[in-house]
Amino acid sequence: MIKKSPGKGLIAFFTDIIRWNLSGGIVYQLYLCVLAAFMVLGVYAYFVQINLGLSATNMSNIVSWGFYISNFTFLVGVAAAAVMIILPAYIFKDKDLHKVVIIGEVVAIGALVMCLMFVFVDLGSPLKAWHMMPIIGIFNWPTSLLTWDVIVLNGYLALNLMVPAYIVYCHYNHRKPDERKYRPLIFISIFWAFAIHLVTAFLYEGLPARPFWNNPLMGPRFLASAFAAGPALITMVLVIINFTTTFKIEAQVFNKLRRIIVVSAIINLIMLFSEIFKEFYLPTHHSLPAVFLYFGLDGHNSLVPWIWTAISMNLLGTLTLAVNPGRNNPKVLFPACILLFLGVWIEKGIGLIVPGLVPSPLGEVVDYAPSWVEVSVTLGILALGVFVVTMLIRPALIIEERFGVEQGT
Amino acid sequence: MKISAFKTGLFWILFLLLLIFSWGYAFSEKNSVVEIYKNATAPFDDEKSVDSILLIPDNTVPVETKYQGGFFWTETRKDKIERFKCSECHNNKDVKIARAAEIAHGDIILDHGGQDKPLSCYTCHKKDDRNFLVTEEGSKIDMDHSYQMCGQCHFRQKKDWVGGAHGKRVSYWAGTRVVKTCTSCHDPHSPLFEKRWPKTYSPPLVN
Amino acid sequence: MNSRKNKDCRKQKKNTPLQDKPFGRREFLKGAVKAAALGSAAMVSGCGTGLLGSSEEDSLRWKEYFKKHYRLMTQEEKDETVRRLERLARLRRGVDIQMSSKGPIERVLFGYAFNLTRCEGFMECVAACVKENNLDRKSNTQYIRIFEMEHGEMSPASGNSKYFHEVPVEDHFYMGVQCFHCEKAPCVKACPTQATYREPDGIVVVDYDWCIGCRYCIAACPYYGRRFNWNEPYVPVNEITKKQHYLGNRMRTRGQMEKCTFCVQRTREGRLPACVEACPTGARVFGNLLDPKSEIRYVLKNKKVFRFKEELGTDAKYWYFID
Repeated sequence: MIKKSPGKGLIAFFTDIIRWNLSGGIVYQLYLCVLAAFMVLGVYAYFVQINLGLSATNMSNIVSWGFYISNFTFLVGVAAAAVMIILPAYIFKDKDLHKVVIIGEVVAIGALVMCLMFVFVDLGSPLKAWHMMPIIGIFNWPTSLLTWDVIVLNGYLALNLMVPAYIVYCHYNHRKPDERKYRPLIFISIFWAFAIHLVTAFLYEGLPARPFWNNPLMGPRFLASAFAAGPALITMVLVIINFTTTFKIEAQVFNKLRRIIVVSAIINLIMLFSEIFKEFYLPTHHSLPAVFLYFGLDGHNSLVPWIWTAISMNLLGTLTLAVNPGRNNPKVLFPACILLFLGVWIEKGIGLIVPGLVPSPLGEVVDYAPSWVEVSVTLGILALGVFVVTMLIRPALIIEERFGVEQGT
Repeated sequence: MKISAFKTGLFWILFLLLLIFSWGYAFSEKNSVVEIYKNATAPFDDEKSVDSILLIPDNTVPVETKYQGGFFWTETRKDKIERFKCSECHNNKDVKIARAAEIAHGDIILDHGGQDKPLSCYTCHKKDDRNFLVTEEGSKIDMDHSYQMCGQCHFRQKKDWVGGAHGKRVSYWAGTRVVKTCTSCHDPHSPLFEKRWPKTYSPPLVN
Repeated sequence: MNSRKNKDCRKQKKNTPLQDKPFGRREFLKGAVKAAALGSAAMVSGCGTGLLGSSEEDSLRWKEYFKKHYRLMTQEEKDETVRRLERLARLRRGVDIQMSSKGPIERVLFGYAFNLTRCEGFMECVAACVKENNLDRKSNTQYIRIFEMEHGEMSPASGNSKYFHEVPVEDHFYMGVQCFHCEKAPCVKACPTQATYREPDGIVVVDYDWCIGCRYCIAACPYYGRRFNWNEPYVPVNEITKKQHYLGNRMRTRGQMEKCTFCVQRTREGRLPACVEACPTGARVFGNLLDPKSEIRYVLKNKKVFRFKEELGTDAKYWYFID
């Protein structure tokens, strides 16, 4: 083997990343501008929210958590789903999925950044967030589940940043990374991925005040829906990468991902059926949130069209992916994944948070729809997430491709 | 090798069980509030414990019944009756003012006892000494101690009033116990609270 | 010939990146600068009009921002923060308030009882609470809710809390709900910063300045006992109750949780809470559960009492009874 010169160093690594990220065709530049525009919109809307307080949103003392926390809940699942690629890639040594594992981790990072941002914009006094830090503030661990969530989310972000960064940096410097250094972290991240989503589920599951949430199926249901929606998103990202860059992805990768999605989506549907049975076989006062969600209550039926659309999209997407009429043709997979992703997003986002809070503990029913401030800030954060993913994937793929060529793969 | 693996496994299982049980014990330590108050039998010295100034209102009389904590006071009534003493008119002299009854007692609506057994004036007021109220047996009750008279029929409410479940304390929960007397809240001639509009309302619960 | 071709090729190569770079980078940088400017403007405005206020106010607010959790303060630190807040009230609103940092009375555990037979729905308690606790008039915050219920069901879900007509209505009874000050409060367990906690005399309070506004406690409370300041609260200056307590009725700002405190500013001085004092029918009973001679103990001993949603194990210190 020709001995390559050792790397150009850390500074060159970062300057190269910035250079690669800012150069590209006109479509790419336009795409960056669109993202920047949404981010600016988000910042402006957040500025309005800071000034008026959270009354700029449509949340109230009854629906005290709304669009922000819905998106947070859903995106934690997407972040956890990277494990569904890491697990086969590193434990079962699946070569096909090993090629795309970096993309899964980058999507997880993007999702985690979005989660942390959603929590931040939802806070009433964000400048006092330091009150929650250990030592300088009070960290109510292990009593409060929010503190567990802070630990697991930040830990998972750190894990997903460190390991791929190390691997990509080694590849950038034309050398193979030392597996002994990162293999234990990979193992930890596999268990940690389950932990982040279980802890987020326990956040809701542990509240006897909210009978819609207080059931043992929340944790497993979160995992199942995450492992359906997350790989669906990763599939979509892979399709985009396949068609817009020179990084080609084989059909087997799509097939394996599709299988993972289908199994998780079917488990998710079984759990959904179990929940529906429990709520409607012998309805009690505790079933009122489910009645509000699926059929409307006392004339308040704002969520009814959403949940039925979500379930239909979920079923259609699952069916398409299961039957696989296109034989892994990305043109069929892409819309099916969109359907599934959106279906789970609605059902696990707004379709989980709002019915948990309505009817109120005293039985009062109100409607909720996000205000323009909430929608704008959400769009801004989503744009930020996409931006982060783009900024990380582009150089990663360039480096991976270059390293692959060098290694003769 | 196999035996030591078994031992390690056993050790971890026992350790976890110990952890779980100690956690469970920690949770079970806290008593429920019902147990706490049932066990709280030691007397509470208001004067010593509460260091704030607890003002006792001026017009109070000691109640002739003791409650579970001893003596307590109630508000007077006589100073709130406009034309007390009643004997200034109700004596053996002739009444010289025209329409005196209407002027003095025209505002009284007597609605006490319902339609079946309505009370009359002399059920409660002593006929030969209008400064006092009267019991069934004919004994005099001072107007400031009207509870003794009301308590004849309303003995359940009186028992609760003495104990604290009926009526209201005046201003303080601590210190000398001063409570409102029957007539502080109830018009003795028409004791049922009148219908009225609420002081305020709760607006719809949207932001 | 060849060199000419090469020149053209080089020109072409040079042109495309030049075309791309200004368009892409400039737009992006513009957007980033805009975002940064707006972001920092937001931060500054978020801090309030600090730049425009007096320097004394700024230094007070600076100290207030970095202070500890109230529970961890010594009595001197508590007195200091109280003095700062009194001074800030004078500077900001022109109001002279008296704030107390009084601690709990020894051997006191507050308990409360509500007589369902006696409540006639007059809502004097609600009005008194709003006035006493300096509740926001703009959003009509009310710690107490009164439900008009038809005979036959005991759940407020079947009742109506938004009534406004002559009361009492025949064949209806009235049930008042507020924070029940649970011994095993789910909100205390949920709070990530311990901003809400149980004081030794049994009341569950919020250190308003420590609260970060995550609203997990609202999700955790089974009784709708907690309120959040969605907007900047407004109380007309002439209606502000000036005798305040740090943990009680002092003025809050937006982004903080608040709740019934059993009128800590009154009860620690031996006075009854505003709701108990205001009730014209004597439907509310308040006292020290550890005092065997108190009225609340009489009620618990002699009346058939129950607690709302008792099966949730919150161990509330607020009982209902029927005469």
